[in-house]
Amino acid sequence: MKLLTHNMLTSKCMKGVSVGYPLGINASDVRVSEVDFNPDFIARMIPKLDWAVLYNAAESIGQLEDLPKDLANNYENDQEFLKKVHHVLLEVDIINGELVCPETGRKFPINNGIPNMLLNEDEV
Amino acid sequence: MNSAAKTKKLERKLKKLQHTVLRETGMSCDLTPTKNIVICNAGLVNGLSEEAIYKHFSQHGILENILLLPGKSCSFVSYTKLQSACNAFETFNGKLNIAQDNKPVYLLYTSSLPVVETSKTWKNLPPGLLILEDFVTDEEETELLKLCDFEKDSNGMKNRQVKHYGYEFRYDTNNVDKDKPLNEAIPDACNFLWNRLSNTYGLDFHPDQLTVNHYSAGQGIPHHVDTHSAFEDPIVSLSLQSSVVMEFKLDNQHLCVLLPRKSLAVISGESRYDWTHGITPRKFDVVYTNNNFTALERATRTSFTFRKILQGECRCSYKSKCDSYSKQVNASIENDAASRLEKLHVHEVYENIASHFSDTRHKPWPNVLEFVQSFDTGSILVDIGCGNGKYLGQNTSSFSVGCDQSTGLINVCKDRGFEVFTGNCLSVPLRDDIADGVISIAVIHHLANEDRRLQAIKEMVRVLRVGGQALVYVWAKDQCKNEEKSSYIKQDRRNRKCKDITSRDGAVDNEVSVLQGVSLPVHTNRTQFKHNDVLVPWKLKGRSESDNVFLRFYHVFQENELPGMCRELSNVEVVKSYYDQGNWCVILRKV
Ligand SMILES: [Zn+2]
Repeated sequence: MKLLTHNMLTSKCMKGVSVGYPLGINASDVRVSEVDFNPDFIARMIPKLDWAVLYNAAESIGQLEDLPKDLANNYENDQEFLKKVHHVLLEVDIINGELVCPETGRKFPINNGIPNMLLNEDEV
Repeated sequence: MNSAAKTKKLERKLKKLQHTVLRETGMSCDLTPTKNIVICNAGLVNGLSEEAIYKHFSQHGILENILLLPGKSCSFVSYTKLQSACNAFETFNGKLNIAQDNKPVYLLYTSSLPVVETSKTWKNLPPGLLILEDFVTDEEETELLKLCDFEKDSNGMKNRQVKHYGYEFRYDTNNVDKDKPLNEAIPDACNFLWNRLSNTYGLDFHPDQLTVNHYSAGQGIPHHVDTHSAFEDPIVSLSLQSSVVMEFKLDNQHLCVLLPRKSLAVISGESRYDWTHGITPRKFDVVYTNNNFTALERATRTSFTFRKILQGECRCSYKSKCDSYSKQVNASIENDAASRLEKLHVHEVYENIASHFSDTRHKPWPNVLEFVQSFDTGSILVDIGCGNGKYLGQNTSSFSVGCDQSTGLINVCKDRGFEVFTGNCLSVPLRDDIADGVISIAVIHHLANEDRRLQAIKEMVRVLRVGGQALVYVWAKDQCKNEEKSSYIKQDRRNRKCKDITSRDGAVDNEVSVLQGVSLPVHTNRTQFKHNDVLVPWKLKGRSESDNVFLRFYHVFQENELPGMCRELSNVEVVKSYYDQGNWCVILRKV
């Protein structure tokens, strides 16, 4: 699971959960692999992200490197910055671990890079 | 070419065609004159019509029979007299240009006509149909026509003009708004019809709805069954100004019925509930009466169709055509049952067939591909019910993420390098307003009741940002739209033509009890659907007979059902609604 996906996932569909975001991450196996860099793609993706959630997620799994805590003003033209975002968004992969609902503590396992977000019948 | 050479060429041509006819129909034919002529190189498959045959061949005498066979490229004409056949033969052979691309027809004689079961016949009426000839007089006809002046009351129907009394029949829903009667009831001037029907024929019928249709010569009405839940039995139709041929179809039976001018047709029982009826758009009918064919030129025709609104639901025994029955089956699948049904007959089936299913699902559908590839760089695309990830790698400048209920299929996606998670389409674990595009291809027809199908669409819309678009595909009940067979039907080589599919529909679907109190019909693969909620068998090869068939639940959609559901949501607009290869499809935009 990439951190871009994590940025979108929520447990709000669970019974009794109102926001369910962001999900906590307990990672036991994190891999980094190279992905082609497309600065235009990253620049257009950034406004769609919850930046604080991305920052905290990267920090929580020790993949922050030197990503700034706040978005730079002119980031569209800052190749170095876009590259760092690219790395965090697409090159970091959580292979095994779990996601945690911030309200109920319900854990969603991640196996083989696949988060299992299925809910039991009594949870919806 | 001199005439000797021409004759030689014709002889060679006929020799070849003799074999073709024998192979196609089992009939032997030659140059020995009889009353029966075979048109060796033109038939239904290359567009020859009864009317075209009649127009030319009736010039040479009285026609006893015209036989066009479904799926064949030859046809047959019989005269009452041998001399007529000989005259036609001499005049037309190699010269009459009514074969495909205006090529000449080639003729031979045959001693008898083939016996066929699937072609049109004139011999019988469908059970329950009664034609009462000369039901009204000329004076009464004139008076009735005065009730409804179409020069003044024209409206927008493309093919014919319509006026309703009592209740409006709505062509978009094929039903009436039962709680919204019109101000204008059926005119009292029609009352004499019921008294006559009761006094003369002992039929008690008191309609409260009248539809007057005004057809110009050449106009028709597509085949249909009058919606069961809308009207009682019977339906009664008075033909004024012109006679017309109405055709009735059920499975492989195709009956032509002449509705003479001033006659009353009482359509009841099986003919009302199980047979479709329609009028072919054409300028003249070829009519079979007194053992021969004659042409009947159509004039402007006005029909008065009287019906009685049904209060409550239909309780007929013709379930495959009954909307009340479908509704009742669907209502019986309450949410708890629906979820258990989906678990047993969707989720568990996909886990069992995942690898085989994935092997058979390679080729992306072009229109879905086009939609996926229409998104800009940096777009977020979500595939809800992504299956084996057929559409996930198709737009490399966007971020695509797939979601499916099946662990087996999600693993296939992951192995192919796609970003996916396991999840259910009724509660998609994504933030609101995040996606630029959503697709859900062949997914929500697996949901067992309408609330759940609507909930799945709501989830797609919730995830979509304002301005974002979603594409939804569901399986269509009608697998043979506009005479075009879907690839699902085409995969069976027996189904070369649309007509042949219906002819195979004679088989009755078995019902299987899926849950306590819920039974569903098992669909016969590669045929038209007869029910809205069905179990469709999936056969795995190389397993023992007992455990290689899995029954998947499907709700197959009627025309307009999908866009109709989408219009219930206030925050979307339907951008496009179309039919694609046996599927109903919509593109939605969140507003
Ligand atoms: Zn019915």
